Amino acid sequence: MWCGPGLTSNFLRVGARGISGAPVDILLKAVGDTPIMKTKKWAVERTRTIQGLIDFIKKFLKLVASEQLFIYVNQSFAPSPDQEVGTLYECFGSDGKLVLHYCKSQAWG
Amino acid sequence: MTDDKDVLRDVWFGRIPTCFTLYQDEITEREAEPYYLLLPRVSYLTLVTDKVKKHFQKVMRQEDISEIWFEHEGTPLKWHYPIGLLFDLLASSSALPWNITVHFKGFPEKDLLHCPSKDTIEAHFMSCVKEADALKHKSQVINEMQKKDHKQLWMGLHNDRFDQFWAINRKLMEYPAEESGFRYIPFRIYQTTTERPFIQKLFRPVATDGQLHTLGDLLKEVCPSAIAPEDGERKNQVMIHGIEPMLETPLQWLSEHLSYPDNFLHISIIPQPTD
Repeated sequence: MWCGPGLTSNFLRVGARGISGAPVDILLKAVGDTPIMKTKKWAVERTRTIQGLIDFIKKFLKLVASEQLFIYVNQSFAPSPDQEVGTLYECFGSDGKLVLHYCKSQAWG
Repeated sequence: MTDDKDVLRDVWFGRIPTCFTLYQDEITEREAEPYYLLLPRVSYLTLVTDKVKKHFQKVMRQEDISEIWFEHEGTPLKWHYPIGLLFDLLASSSALPWNITVHFKGFPEKDLLHCPSKDTIEAHFMSCVKEADALKHKSQVINEMQKKDHKQLWMGLHNDRFDQFWAINRKLMEYPAEESGFRYIPFRIYQTTTERPFIQKLFRPVATDGQLHTLGDLLKEVCPSAIAPEDGERKNQVMIHGIEPMLETPLQWLSEHLSYPDNFLHISIIPQPTD
């Protein structure tokens, strides 16, 4: 489950693991000719994984399951699919949000 | 210092004697003998077990073989964690050899990532190196390197070539002359007793007063329960590469000398062995 777009004073904390701290703000940016998300800002549970995020973006963009999607932090590294969004936010977030670039092909190796 | 360089070699050449046994429910055409191997602590399971795979596939039919995966006492082993970390976390208090069960069916999707090829391992490894440098140098050092330097790091690990690896890796261990260390220390702290996969946070190697932060300082800040004494006795071991560094060790030194090839300090918090 995903919280709605924009700012996050009221949000639903839903997920298999239940309550696990305040969600973090993510800003999704498309790379190259990858389709752009109509809603770019999301409040995401800290324990959500990168794989979970990839599955969500693919559904939202109506990509086929077999199509690949890569997510990058700092436009430099692709975190492991089991990496938690909360940890990435703690280490690489700035101005209260974590910026993630997504791409259908490998952008930064 | 010669002593410090020795540490780099000791870390690189650490090995774990391992016994691989085929899972009893796998279908074989004849009996599968166990396979013994010394595993490099600093490498990854799927990178160093081609011989293991070949050995067991010799007694199986092609149609009974799917993606290989490994398990220790019921716990699926994450290939994307360094071997030494897996051992320290799950088996360091057991008798040697490390007993690993080999499976060719029933891949546990919920617990393990797929590893379709060596390229997958390389991509994962390089991503970790890049993440570490983002913390240490705002990615400046890794980005200044050429593609062939990145390749050399991987080939050094892949071929167990210490000199080849460190010719490049030493640049990732440098820091500006006016500083006392890296910007932040790349570390991950693992415990089997918690839900979270690991703890990773921003932590500087130097305090505002210029004092070097120690391993103890790090733990006190991000994982205080790990070293809190219970009734005067510490109930946990803090382990890196199979040893317990003194808590007074400067974190910067640990990062430069006891990091894994991915440039992260992978630290295990395990219960004191009861023997």
